[in-house]
This record gives sequence, C-alpha cells and structure tokens, in this order.
Amino acid sequence: MIDLIGRDRPDVIYLIALLVLFLIGLAAVFSASTVISESGLFDKQLTWSIIGLLAFLVGTIISLRRLEEISPIAYAFICLLLLLTLFIGSGPANRWLAIGPIHVQPSEIAKAGLIFMTAWWLASQKVRPRKFGETLIFLTVVPAVVLTALQPDLGTAVSMLLIVLAMFIWAGYGVGWIILLVSPILAAVSSMNILLWLGFMIILTIILYRRKYAVPMWIAFMGGNSIVAALTPMAWKMLKPYQQSRLITFLNPSNDPHGSGWNIIQSEVAVGSGGLSGQGFLQGAQKELAFLPARHTDFVFSVWAEEMGFIGCLILLTAFFILFWRMVSAARKSVNPFNSLVAAGTAAYIGIHVFVNVGMTLGIMPVTGLPLPLISYGGSQLVTVLFLFGLVLNAGMYWREV
Amino acid sequence: MLRKEKQWSSLAFMLMTLLLFMILGGRLFYLQIVKGDYYRGLSSQNHIRVITKPAPRGLISDRNGVVLADSRPSFIVTAVPSEFDSANTGQVASLLGIPEEALSSILDQASSVPHKPVVLQASMSVDDVSSIAEYIYRIPGVLIDVAPQRRYHRPEEFCHIIGYVGLSDDPESYRGEITGRTGIEFNLNEVLRGSPGLHREVVDAMGRVVEEYRGTGSDEPLPGTNVIITIDAELQRTALEQLEKTALPGAVVIVNYVNGDILCAVSSPTFDPNMFSRGISQDEWDALIQNTANPLYCRAWTASYPPASTFKIVTAYWLLAEGLISENTMPAPCYGSLILGDTEFGCWTAHGRLNIISALARSCDVFFYRTAQLGSLDELAEYAEFFGLGSRLTEIFADERSGLVPDSDYLNSTYGPGGWGLGNLLNVSIGQGELLSTPLQMAAMTGVIASRGQMPLPRLVLQGEQREPFFPPKACDDTAFDVVTEGMLQVIESRRGTLHTVFSDFPWDFWGKTGTAECSGEDHAIIVGFTREPEPVVICVFIEHGGHGGVIAGPVARDILLSYFEGSD
Repeated sequence: MIDLIGRDRPDVIYLIALLVLFLIGLAAVFSASTVISESGLFDKQLTWSIIGLLAFLVGTIISLRRLEEISPIAYAFICLLLLLTLFIGSGPANRWLAIGPIHVQPSEIAKAGLIFMTAWWLASQKVRPRKFGETLIFLTVVPAVVLTALQPDLGTAVSMLLIVLAMFIWAGYGVGWIILLVSPILAAVSSMNILLWLGFMIILTIILYRRKYAVPMWIAFMGGNSIVAALTPMAWKMLKPYQQSRLITFLNPSNDPHGSGWNIIQSEVAVGSGGLSGQGFLQGAQKELAFLPARHTDFVFSVWAEEMGFIGCLILLTAFFILFWRMVSAARKSVNPFNSLVAAGTAAYIGIHVFVNVGMTLGIMPVTGLPLPLISYGGSQLVTVLFLFGLVLNAGMYWREV
Repeated sequence: MLRKEKQWSSLAFMLMTLLLFMILGGRLFYLQIVKGDYYRGLSSQNHIRVITKPAPRGLISDRNGVVLADSRPSFIVTAVPSEFDSANTGQVASLLGIPEEALSSILDQASSVPHKPVVLQASMSVDDVSSIAEYIYRIPGVLIDVAPQRRYHRPEEFCHIIGYVGLSDDPESYRGEITGRTGIEFNLNEVLRGSPGLHREVVDAMGRVVEEYRGTGSDEPLPGTNVIITIDAELQRTALEQLEKTALPGAVVIVNYVNGDILCAVSSPTFDPNMFSRGISQDEWDALIQNTANPLYCRAWTASYPPASTFKIVTAYWLLAEGLISENTMPAPCYGSLILGDTEFGCWTAHGRLNIISALARSCDVFFYRTAQLGSLDELAEYAEFFGLGSRLTEIFADERSGLVPDSDYLNSTYGPGGWGLGNLLNVSIGQGELLSTPLQMAAMTGVIASRGQMPLPRLVLQGEQREPFFPPKACDDTAFDVVTEGMLQVIESRRGTLHTVFSDFPWDFWGKTGTAECSGEDHAIIVGFTREPEPVVICVFIEHGGHGGVIAGPVARDILLSYFEGSD
C-alpha cells in the first residue's frame, strides 16, 4: 500500500519565496518603526514572528485528517470569538480581543476558520452530496461574515466572501452557479436601473437554460429574484433620508474621516518618489517625516516602495506570485479534497489581500484596511497566515494522505 | 474531484491572479518610472495642501416655491498652522481686528492637526475682505476662502420651523462647515448638507499655490438636496401678523385635513435666525435667553397645554361612539356646578337642561361631568390617543412634545393606587387636570372630526407621499361624527354658541370649539375649528394668558382665515 501514499520532498521554490517575503516583512516593519515614537513595534513583531514560525512548523506536521475532523468545532469557536469581540472588543474600532496581555484580532483568525469550514463542507459534499448542500454551506459562512461586517469591518467581511467564492470555483462549481448563488444580492443591486435589471435577467435565463434546470427551479430563481428586485426600491423608499445616507455611509466606509484623501496622496507620493531603485533602506523621506499614515500596517507597502523602488516592488510582487503559484500547484496535486481546498483557499486569501492592499497604496482600490500578508505589522495575521502556509506545504508533501 | 476540472480551475486561478498582478505592476511602473521625477519633487518639499470645497447647502422653500433659506457668498480667513509663522500673529490680528491673544489661542488649539486649515474669521463680506486681501496674501499660511453663509428671507415667520445654523464643532467637520442647530436645519441636516468637494494643490514653502496636484483627481462638491415644506409663506405671514396684534405669546397651526399638509405653524414671539448665521454675539444671545417670553421656544409643538374645552369634542365622540349616551340624552340640569364628595366642580354659568349638541355649542362642563361618569378614565384615555394626543405627530422635529394623556397607570404611579378618583376623570373630561397637548395635536384632534377619521398624520416636508391616517378605522362611528360635527356647527350657528358673534359675518361655514385653559394667572385662550369650503383646513389658535377662548382667540382665527381665503380666490 506504500505507493498509495504520495510523499514528496518539501517544495523548495515555495520555501524560498516564503523566506524572501518573511525577510522583506521584517525589514519593512523595522524601517517603518525607526520613527522614534514607534520603536517598540519591531521587538513585538519579532516575538510574533517566532510564534509564527512555530505555527508554521505545527502546520507542516499536523495531521490534515485530524484538522478536517475538528473543522466545524474550530469554526464555531471562531464565531464565538467574533461575537465576544462585538461586546467586549478593545482597541481602535473595537476589533481586538484582550486575552491577558495579548491582543488578538479574531477577524484575522476567522479567515482561517472560514477556509477550514468551507473546505470541510465542500469535501463532504463531494463524498456524500446533499440536496441544497451548497446553499447550506453558504448559510454556514454567513455568521462569521456578518459578525465581521458588524464590527464594522466591511472590507474584511467582503474579503471573506471572496475567499469562499474562490473555493467554490476550485471545487468545480462554475461561474454561472456562483452567479445563481449570489443572485439575490445582484437582483437587489440591479433593481436600481431598468437596463441593468434586464441584463441581469437575461444572464439569469441563459444560466438556467444552460444548466438545464427543471421548472420549479426556474420559478424559484426568476420569481424570487423578481420579488427581491421589486421590494428593494420599496424598502429603500420607506427609509427616512437620514437613514438612507447612513446606509450609504455604512456601505462605503472610508478610513479617512476627514475625507481629504490625505492617506492615499501621501502614499502615492511615497511610492512614486521611490523611482527605479528607491531612496535606499531606512532613507524614505515620507516615512521619516511621519507624513505617511499607518506606515507599519495598511501602508507598509508604500514604505517598501519608497525605499526599495520599482525593483524592490517587483521582487516583492514576484515572490508573492511564486508563492501563489506553488500553492495552486499543491492544491492541484492533493488528492484529498479537504487538503486541496485548504491550499486553494489559502492561495485565494493571498491573491485577494495582496491585490486589495497594494492596490490601495497605489490609489486604485478603495481604502479598506486589509493588511498585506507577511509584511504588515500584526501578530494575529502573521501567525494565522504562517500556520496556513505550513498546512499548504504539508498538503503538498503528503498529497495522497489516506 | 476530476483531474480535468482541477486543471481548468488552476488555470483560471493563475490567469486571474496574473492579470491582477500585472495591473499592480503597471500602476507601479506608471507611478515610479513614468511619474517618478514628479513625485520625487513633491516628496522633497512635501507640500500638498488639501482644500475642502464646501458643498452648497440645500435650499428650503415653501409650497409655492418661495425661497425661505438659501446661501449667500461670504468669505472666511483661514490659516494652515504648519505653514504659519507665529511672528506674524500680531500683524494678522490687527488686520482682522481681533485681539492677538485670541488669535494665538485659536492657532494653538489647531496645531495638533498641522496640515488642516483653521478658521480665523468667518462670514466676511466682499467689502471686508477686499480691504485686507492684499496684505493677507503676503503672509505665508494665511488664506482667504469662499464659504457660503446661510441666509433666511423670512426670518421671523420661519425661525421655529426652519431653525438656524452655526459653525460645526464636530471634530471631523471641515473648516467653516456649518451645521443645523434647530428646526429643519437640524432635523434634516443630513439631507441639506450635501458632501464637500476636495481640491488638492501643490504649494511652495511660503504656502503659495504652485500648481494643481496632478495625482489622483479632485472631487467636486455635491450640493445638498433642496427641501420644500408644506407651509404657505403668505398664510404664515398673515398668521404671525394677526397673532402679534394680540401682543401675547401664542401659536397658530393650520393643517389641511385631507392630505395632512401643515400650511401654517407660527409661534410668537420670534427671533432673527440670521443672527446665528453671521455668528451671534454674547449680548444678543443673553438677550434671547433672558427674555421671559422665551422666543427660542416653538409654541406650536414644543409647548404643551391643557386643551381645555376643545377636548370636549373627544369626550363627546367617546360617549356617543361607545353608546354611553345618544344624541337626545339629557342628563340632570346644570345649576352652575356639580358637587362630588366635598369638591365643587364649577361650570362657567348655569346652563339648565341640555343635550349633547347644546352642551358642545354652549360649552357646558356639568353635562360632561355627569355623562363621563358612565364610563372610565382608561376608556377616555384610549380615545384621546386615537385622536392623536399623547404622541408625537410629525416625527421630524426632535423638540416636538408628545403631551400627556393620563390613564390609571399614570395616575397610580403619580398619586399611588387609591390616591386619585372620579374627580380626575371629571377634570380630564373637560380637558383639564393632567391632560396636556400641543397646539399641533389640538389641530390634529379637530382634523379627525373634520375628516371623519380619514386625516393623515401631519407632514411638513412636501416631497414624498402623504402619510397614513392615524385614527383607527375600528373606532370610526358615523353617528358620533355627525353629532359632534353638528355640535361644532352650533357653536357658531346657535344664538347662544360661544363663537356666534365672532363668526356671524364669516362668509363660509365654520365648525368650531373654544377652550379656556385654567392656569396660574390669566387663563389661556384656545379655539379650534375647521372649514370645508373653500379649502378643507383645520385651525388651532392658542394664546397664552389670553383670557376667554372665544373672545380673543376667535377673532384671530377668523381674520387669518378670511385673509387666506380671500387672498387665494
């Protein structure tokens, strides 16, 4: 039976990319923390890095089979943490939970919990399909997403949804199916404009036709979405003007209450002034003068770009892309659906976060406050992603675990 | 999972991500290579100034399009603390004509956010600015900006409805931002304010504008939404004139009972809200606050008074609808008072034996003392709530009072169980006792009779649908409406009706009811009433310490309606 157990050496390219990013992260946080008032940050980050490396090792040797079994419990626990955060959260925006001297950010850990939960569901759906199982999976992720959105941290909540949708695609559900799943949301949004609504209904018809659904499903989707679309403007009108504007503000949160676009401009100036080769490590003027906001967290990429220039940025982005590529390979290799889905979910996590965060610092994405994995300061996030990366390495080595 | 499926998925994953990463790479190339020199230049000085362009505040106009509140151009002088040299403080202070210490303290407070301009002097006219502009422009870090100032065209008539604005003290507001403090300005502030625009400039070390920032684009301000209110400005003016003739504090409310539009709501005395727009002085403020007639107070809905005899229409409706009496019921005669235990409940004259219609027409208290005993206080309280008493009606004004409808729970908690009795019911039945209502509620209460229960909740903003009726359909009783309406007609038609003389020459049918609310000092005078032709409106005139309802409030109501109806022909 030996040949049934696929076992490879650790993926060296993956490890190198990871090491490069890990070191860039430490360097960037070190540089960002040289501004006197924040000198303690680097030591903290170093401590978290050591814990993170331990988590990585645990991830590589843990039994993924065991992990699969406890996934629902882990997810329930995470939801409980998120619920607690709503009531006894601390720190800015009450997103942190204080456990003794340590402050953890449950919404970061929740991303891992969500990946496990979704992988568990989708894997079990492969083995023993249930009717409406997919809808059930979707409903299962709702608590974590809603609890995060209520913090309020809409950016993180949306990123969670995107990760889950990416895992659905990985599990073989077509894009058409995904559209059906989120069709009530699309119906509500498209009801604002008649052409948009017609376009949506045509796409819905094509999908339903191509997927050869029976009449009851047609009635359910067309009817249900028509009702949603009809009710949305009515519900909107019933709101008082001030309630409408509050809703718009909630859906379009800006981390910049002065509305001045100050952060983005300063970030653009920092990135742009880096030029081809940068101003040199620890030499960033923007960062030095404390013009750059949140330079160790949300805008850490700008620090790197200013000091290391276009070349440094390309190294960083290439390393992330290689990491992503090796994760997808590991996911492809894994025969066990759960392992494969965890790897794919982690890959989606990286892809989404890198694009949203870097895009924000370059002024092409809205300010959402998603951190840059491995690079941004922050313990919860670092430990969570390193644990996930360990799991991916694990899944790639033992690709036919039985 | 099929191998083929996985291959497709991984290809899609890789291609999608490659595309996204290439977008990032492209943007990086643009910022760092194409525009690298530009940004490096900016970075060496780091002088980008973000200017907030105030959003024009929405207009407020009346139902006929008369503009009541708009904005006029005005100037403010601001300073950017990080660019301002404190050696110039003395010069700036003398130019602006303010004490040097005051200026230093403004700048000190603002220094925590050094790149954000702070207001030094607000609401300056073109003349004010032109004389000092030349000098100001030479001082680094000091700027002159346009900031619209709120202007009220009918300040006295609309001071309570529209309210006033002031400079926002919200730490997140932009410099010079104005915000509503009272009235519609306050309650619809989110609608009226719009959202400010942003303008970015590159400035040199002296704070002079070198060029526009060529990075991420500027945003234009989004003007606030205009608000059209249901008030008729001409009627409002007439009402205030008539009210001011009495030289007493009071309120007039006129509502269209078919669609619920509040056509007129004035309160006297008034104040000038423009004082607040240009920045009220301490003396002006003290004068407002110390005025014992309290001009800041809106008597139309912030004050609550006993509705007195006007409430008898509710009591009468209750007695009839519940079948406790009929149109022809004649209880024992009125001898001028009723003795209950050791208390004497007075009536203002001996009315003799009469039915409900005459009791309403001649406002006999004893009739209601005798008949109210057939029911209970809680039943009457329930009906009072049906008529709109005891709850806020507009849902727009934060300072609208709900009034008070006492029921047994309330009396138990106030006097303790057993600490009250039948006497409380008798008092409430004639609109006295603990019962309190705003003039707006008295108008709505009358509107229920006028519309036979169909009157929608009163509204003040014309945009949008009319609101739903508040009188519960289950409580509608045709006979009761007929009898109470007839009673209100007899208040005018009957030779001994309380409004007979006042309305004898009034060219249209008028249904009315007077009230005289007992209080310390001279009684409050009240009249409520409605017309069907030429327009379906209900009116309530309330005059503090005006004495007998019919005598002083009656002519005010008559003259307002006469001038309104004749003017609209």
